[in-house]
Amino acid sequence: MSDTSPPAARPARGAAVLLLGAVALIVVVVGGIGLGARDIAPWDTVRILLHPDAQGYNAHVLWTERIPRTLLAVLVGAALGGSGMIMQALTMNPLADPGILGVEQGAALFVVCGVLFLDLNDAHDYFWLALAGAAVSALLVYTIGVRANTGSATLGLVLAGVAVAALTVSVITLLVVRDEAAFAQLRFWSVGQLTGRADVLDDILPFAAVGLLAALPLGRTLNVLGLGADTATGLGVNVARARLVGAAIGVLLCAAATAAVGPVAFVGLVGAHTARLLVGPDHRWSLPMSMVCGAVLLCAADIAGRLAGGDGEVQVGVMTAVIGTPFFVWLARRADLVRV
Amino acid sequence: MTVLDHAAKTSPTETAALLRRRRHAAARRTAALVTLLAALLVGLLAVALTVDLKRVPLSEVAPAALGLRDGLADYVIFKIRMPRALTAVLAGALFGLSGVLYQRLIRNPLATPDIIGVSAGAGAGALTMLVLLPALPHGMTLAALAGAFAAVGVIHTLSRRRGTVDTYRVVLVGIGLSALFTSYHTYLFTLADDQDQATAMRWFVGSAAGADWTSVTILAWSLGACALGAVLLERPLSGLTLGDEMATGLGARVPLARTATLLLGAAAAALATSVVGPIAFVALISGPIAARLAGADRAGWLAAPVGAVLVLASDVIAQHAPVISPVPTGACTALIGAPYFVWLILRRTTGDPT
Repeated sequence: MSDTSPPAARPARGAAVLLLGAVALIVVVVGGIGLGARDIAPWDTVRILLHPDAQGYNAHVLWTERIPRTLLAVLVGAALGGSGMIMQALTMNPLADPGILGVEQGAALFVVCGVLFLDLNDAHDYFWLALAGAAVSALLVYTIGVRANTGSATLGLVLAGVAVAALTVSVITLLVVRDEAAFAQLRFWSVGQLTGRADVLDDILPFAAVGLLAALPLGRTLNVLGLGADTATGLGVNVARARLVGAAIGVLLCAAATAAVGPVAFVGLVGAHTARLLVGPDHRWSLPMSMVCGAVLLCAADIAGRLAGGDGEVQVGVMTAVIGTPFFVWLARRADLVRV
Repeated sequence: MTVLDHAAKTSPTETAALLRRRRHAAARRTAALVTLLAALLVGLLAVALTVDLKRVPLSEVAPAALGLRDGLADYVIFKIRMPRALTAVLAGALFGLSGVLYQRLIRNPLATPDIIGVSAGAGAGALTMLVLLPALPHGMTLAALAGAFAAVGVIHTLSRRRGTVDTYRVVLVGIGLSALFTSYHTYLFTLADDQDQATAMRWFVGSAAGADWTSVTILAWSLGACALGAVLLERPLSGLTLGDEMATGLGARVPLARTATLLLGAAAAALATSVVGPIAFVALISGPIAARLAGADRAGWLAAPVGAVLVLASDVIAQHAPVISPVPTGACTALIGAPYFVWLILRRTTGDPT
């Protein structure tokens, strides 16, 4: 335990809540595997899980669709939750979220270019484009956001994100609207969804795993940076380098998530705030907790979308917006957030 | 020398004469700018009718535009190009008007119907009607109005805190609400069949494609009614820019004027959206462009023509520009509007009304 960390570090509580989060995660994973458009009896599910080489349609549905899809939701949700918490800590902006700030849309634009012009079809290939796009748009939004003259730094960054997102989305429209094959392929990808993306899991797993593992030890650095640049320098931290490393990991996580399922907003926002409500402001606990919350949220949103859709499905990006918007509005209404 | 410096040195009658001269000069300047914009619109209209024209001789275009020819010329010019261009003009004017009304009322240049989700609410209403009851006459117009009014009500309620409405909170709450409406659009969009994708796309980004004379009629009546409302609200609204107390002191009925302006702006945006979809950024940038041309206190009169020029020019680019065309109109306005929006948030000094 370091002296430089803020108080409220109550390891006992943090560990208990993290354990609770793990239990919640197990519950939604079980739900994600057990529930769906096709009714498979719980007993059958258990039997198929115990016999991986079982034949039949139910086994096929479970092993090639539901299980990879659920694991993908966990991975992407954790990446977005971690990315959201890192972005909020670095920008000191409670409304920061990779989707709201336009970083995911930037990644999406580069991927669309890759699919259209370079004939890339594997997430493994276009991950690097997503990374470049996320980095470029994050840099752009941050550059505009810190110079924005809108009376409130929080709002400046959000507006910069809205503008960059609008611009990238309309460029995506310009690129895909005439190419019918690309349109059909990108239509679903560009709204963020997990359906039929099970095969992406293997491609994206290494990148997401590296990002998540690299993010875990960041908690202490984020705590020190939160004290302000001067204090952090006084405590012996190289502020510029620490910020750069943090931003790089945040962007990497966001790029992995976007390359896998397309832009999904609000997961980082909701994950980070829920984590802070549960374990307090100490990033050594709230950063992993934010990953858990993001994973639970995305998994739950996916299950809800599967069950709510009737004939089809509601895309997970739509479900997270339905959950995330009230959260965003509630944050925007807080008195300390908006200062004129 | 400012008017106040002048007033300190000279007699009241001379000061009054100076003020009157300035007002007349500003009025002349505004009139000149309106004429200029009108000429620009006519020029753009001519371009929209004639560019890329094949198999119709140029001499036939003018008569065909008035409906005096038959056959191919009538079909291309009178049935397709003319209504599309007029729809772009009228919808642009309505967006421009709605934007400047909100900017003057809320006193924040970012609080326009397209940014705070009022257009998106109108689009959600119209799209729901399109999916559920496509045959209902004027159903989409009414549903768009209902959606926009509902969005205004929700934003107004949620931005209120301890009796005051903070303009930046309006913008933030509106951005959140916009995201919700957009995801609703997305949901309906992915439900659409492959052949409906052009329609779905239009409701996503907004486009004047497929406009006919019915759209022109709806928009013309809408613009007439909204412009009349704006003229009637001009006095109370310019009172409101002095602040609520001052306006009350000058005899304005503040809550009434405020509600009427909110609803009028929402109606203008909704009526335009019900025909061309949520074309982005026109409402946002028309007011500031007009203010740069004619000065902040006269921007109200110029925003509608500026909006009309913007949408018609974007539509011509969207249809005929090499490499990119044809694309939805809204994609082009976003390409112009988003950088301008960035420039706006970078340069704006606090307290500037438009």
